[in-house]
Amino acid sequence: MRFWNRLHSAALLALLAVSAPIAEAREFIDEKGRLLKLPPLIEHTLAAYDTHAGALPPIAERLPLAPRVVDPTKSGRQFGVHGGSWRMFIEKAKRVRLGVVYGYARLICYDADYALRPDLLLSFDVFEGRKFVFKLRPGHKWSDGAPFTSEDFRYWWEDVANHPKLSPGGPPRFMLVNGEPPRVTFPDSTTVIYEWSSPNPYFLKKLAAAAPPFIYRPAHYMKKFHAKYTDVKKLEAKAKKAGLRGWAALHNDSDNMYKNDNPDLPTLQPWRLAKDLSGRRFILIRNAFFHRIDARGRQLPYIDRLEMIVASSSLTAAKSASGEADLQARNITFPDMAVLKSEEKRGGFEARLWRKGDASQMALYPNLNYADPVWRKVLRDARFRRALSMAIDRRLINRVLYFDLAKPVGNGPLPESPLYDPGFVKPWTQFDLKAANALLDEMGLKRKSARGYRFLPDGRPLEVIVEYASDPAEAADALELMVETWREIGVRLLTRPRDRDSLRKGVESGSVMIAVWTGWSNGLPTPSDPPLDLAPMQQSSFQWPKWGQFFETKGKSGEAPDTPEGRKLMALGAAWAKATTDDARAAIWRKMLAIHAEQLFVIGVASGAPQPVVVSKAMRNVPKSGVWAWDPGARFGVYRPDLFFFAPSKSADKKSGEK
Amino acid sequence: MTGIEAGAPPKRPRFVDSAPYHPDDDPTDGARPELDAPAWRLALRRLMRHRLAAASGVFLLTLYLMLPFMGFFAPYGPNEKDIEHLQMPPQSIYWFDEGGFVGPYVVKTDAKADLATMRWTYHEDHSVKLPIKFFCEGAEYRILGGLFTSKLHLFCAPEGGSVHLLGTDKVGKDVFSRILYGAQLSMIVGLLGIFISFAIGVTLGGLAGYFGGLLDAAVMRLIEVLRSLPELPLYLALAAAVPPNWSSLSVFLMITVILGVLDWPGVARAVRSKFLALREEDFVSAAELMGASPGRVVRRHLLPNFASHLVASAALSIPAMILGETALSFLGLGLRYPDVSWGVMLNDALSLSAITLQPWLLTAVAPVVLVVLAFNFLGDGLRDALDPYSER
Repeated sequence: MRFWNRLHSAALLALLAVSAPIAEAREFIDEKGRLLKLPPLIEHTLAAYDTHAGALPPIAERLPLAPRVVDPTKSGRQFGVHGGSWRMFIEKAKRVRLGVVYGYARLICYDADYALRPDLLLSFDVFEGRKFVFKLRPGHKWSDGAPFTSEDFRYWWEDVANHPKLSPGGPPRFMLVNGEPPRVTFPDSTTVIYEWSSPNPYFLKKLAAAAPPFIYRPAHYMKKFHAKYTDVKKLEAKAKKAGLRGWAALHNDSDNMYKNDNPDLPTLQPWRLAKDLSGRRFILIRNAFFHRIDARGRQLPYIDRLEMIVASSSLTAAKSASGEADLQARNITFPDMAVLKSEEKRGGFEARLWRKGDASQMALYPNLNYADPVWRKVLRDARFRRALSMAIDRRLINRVLYFDLAKPVGNGPLPESPLYDPGFVKPWTQFDLKAANALLDEMGLKRKSARGYRFLPDGRPLEVIVEYASDPAEAADALELMVETWREIGVRLLTRPRDRDSLRKGVESGSVMIAVWTGWSNGLPTPSDPPLDLAPMQQSSFQWPKWGQFFETKGKSGEAPDTPEGRKLMALGAAWAKATTDDARAAIWRKMLAIHAEQLFVIGVASGAPQPVVVSKAMRNVPKSGVWAWDPGARFGVYRPDLFFFAPSKSADKKSGEK
Repeated sequence: MTGIEAGAPPKRPRFVDSAPYHPDDDPTDGARPELDAPAWRLALRRLMRHRLAAASGVFLLTLYLMLPFMGFFAPYGPNEKDIEHLQMPPQSIYWFDEGGFVGPYVVKTDAKADLATMRWTYHEDHSVKLPIKFFCEGAEYRILGGLFTSKLHLFCAPEGGSVHLLGTDKVGKDVFSRILYGAQLSMIVGLLGIFISFAIGVTLGGLAGYFGGLLDAAVMRLIEVLRSLPELPLYLALAAAVPPNWSSLSVFLMITVILGVLDWPGVARAVRSKFLALREEDFVSAAELMGASPGRVVRRHLLPNFASHLVASAALSIPAMILGETALSFLGLGLRYPDVSWGVMLNDALSLSAITLQPWLLTAVAPVVLVVLAFNFLGDGLRDALDPYSER
């Protein structure tokens, strides 16, 4: 067995002298309980392995006893080789968290067919939808070599989620069913059981999310910051030195598995953050203890390093076009596609088109909680929303902005979703100025002449102010195309660009009348996905921020839904959580979708828009076409970036025709 | 004078002109008639001798005279979208066919979406020749801010064809027409801004310079405060404060006021220093002793003395105003859709694909450069022409 480390080259000779043959084949139990033979393991001799761990043990000792064995050919891909560095651009240092998103190692994760599979877990069993038994992989290790056991779950549940100082509000909402926490037990070092008194349909989905709430922590590391395990005085002194208020802040500051900004924090992801030097460029290095291997015995990920370079989002397309990124989709928009195509040869990459997985590429969110009472009444009138929708020439927008590659339909499930029905996305989306005018006339919004602008019931002119941010990038152009058709129905459209965060705040405070954003993030829902976007359950839903806030804060702030449809959706959302079968859940989903289709709470403009993906010519195993989705999907995550690899340079040209 | 002899005082012979004298002769018809012409004519004469300045002046005058009627010269409306021709490169105008002159015509041009390159490709069908129409009806436009409306255009696209002299942008708006419409706002902003800035500057600077004392100190401190404010962030803050439901005209006026208000300190300082110098002159004391009011002294005796300086510096400041508007709009903080100005057009061209694949969108730079240069040449020429001691 050969292994070397830059720092320990002196020890190399001694090691070589006693090097054994490659670890002998051993057996393991897979997630279905079958006893299988592990392929002979291949050691990756890499100087770039993390040096902080000192000399690494051999591969056989780094893997769990039951690693996750992946056959890339089953998903139409090929076996790869180790090596290379995946360069990508991020717009600010904060986005280094994409390493956790793209890495997409979760307790349970979605596969490319959006089915849930155990990943970090060896297996999981669900009883009556309320009892969850998780089996860990024996011998699984954190990226610093410490064992990953049920103690890590216990630490989070007992010492973090239920600690009055670390979680002053009690355990997070997703761990509560009807306000009740689960009973959590840890029978042995590889078993964790969560048990509620009634079903918790959110739990598994949450664990598989792009931004998951990690229900475990590297206890051996975090205990160093916890008053229960370390001398409080020392911690307080340390916190003071770091300019933090108390040990709890110090603990929280070090405990950020999603933010991915603490290089010392052990991780289970395929790549872990190396010490960042500049703040302009982040290196993520392969996790030597990662739990997946390919069926030929090569530990994943294939790619050694992720290199995240901070660059302004407006420069990302230009930099990618000159071949400075190996795989990039973030901050590239469809209008950049023509340039990317023209630079393909020179930049040594291929510009592919994936599809956006949002329920709508661009949607208008009339704010039902708008502050002005007269306007609020108008915005809450379904006829008004329908009229606006019918006065949008979606075909024209699709042609001008998306090259006819999107679909001119409203906000709702995409055709690939089992819940798709044209009846959910087509109503009120045909371009019909006559019908739209009739609706507004019926509402009593008068106009002085047949071609003039209309007036509100209190005599003010009907000026709709639509505000938009950087997402989607083409919002300004689309709105410009709407101005003229809305003028035909006597609605004056005024637009204002906003910063993302200030738009969000404006919507939540009720000062934004209509916001433009992408549609529901989940365009491919299955009946078991929580219908969070459809019921007023989130403050981040731009159509009813205050209703959502009311639900999220358990009634402490915000407003209770006060329209029949709002209450009905709320009741359906609650019924979904109680439903026990997928059929019942699907029926509830369909009811909710039907209400949305009729009420048009979110006015979609186009869906299934193309998303350019720049793929280096040397990069392999990146699908030709895919869905660019946040959740479920985790962007690249669901396509397993640990399987992406760089073709060795000699064969790069030969293989360029492969899939 | 020579011939001074010691002792006796010199005796000068009386000078007698030997030329015949006619009592009807005009005494001003002397050897140097140009010195007797009014000052403005002298200045104009000197300006005309400055070729570049004269040409610039004519160019600018023509443009300003055209401004109210830009709609007539533009074949399309400022926001009219030709969705059959998106991102179309500048279109060719043909004059000759098979060796013979047939007048200007375009050929039928069809757009095709090329999915391999993700671009619109244009194919010219030379079998279909479409002569450009002249003095024809097209999009309605307004003259003098809505005083009149008209549909008459100098030339328009033929039936089933298009005339995009400088191409179209991503939503099919005609770049050439937009440059013409953009001139209306971009060029008026300069004039109006200068007017505001000079009105404030001359008034405050004049008061400070003429009366001095506490008033002078107050104005100077105000100027110092204004000058110490960082300009760009201030522009941005003021422009961001413009509410979205203001009409385009109000936004435009607001921008003009912002530019003008930030520009006056320079003028005020120049005026003040001139006043300080001039008020000590004898003719001012004489006017005051004769009982002229301060207003009269300022208007009749002081202002005319440095009007030339003001005119020249105004001509030189207008480009700064135009560039200011362009910069603000380019940053997306000045004028915005549906208004068209050169800055707005450049803002639209602010994308990777515009720079690499649709360079014609950047043609809005050309008029900015031309107008700014012309104003600079004219200003230079004016300064020289108005200076009575200049070499020319």
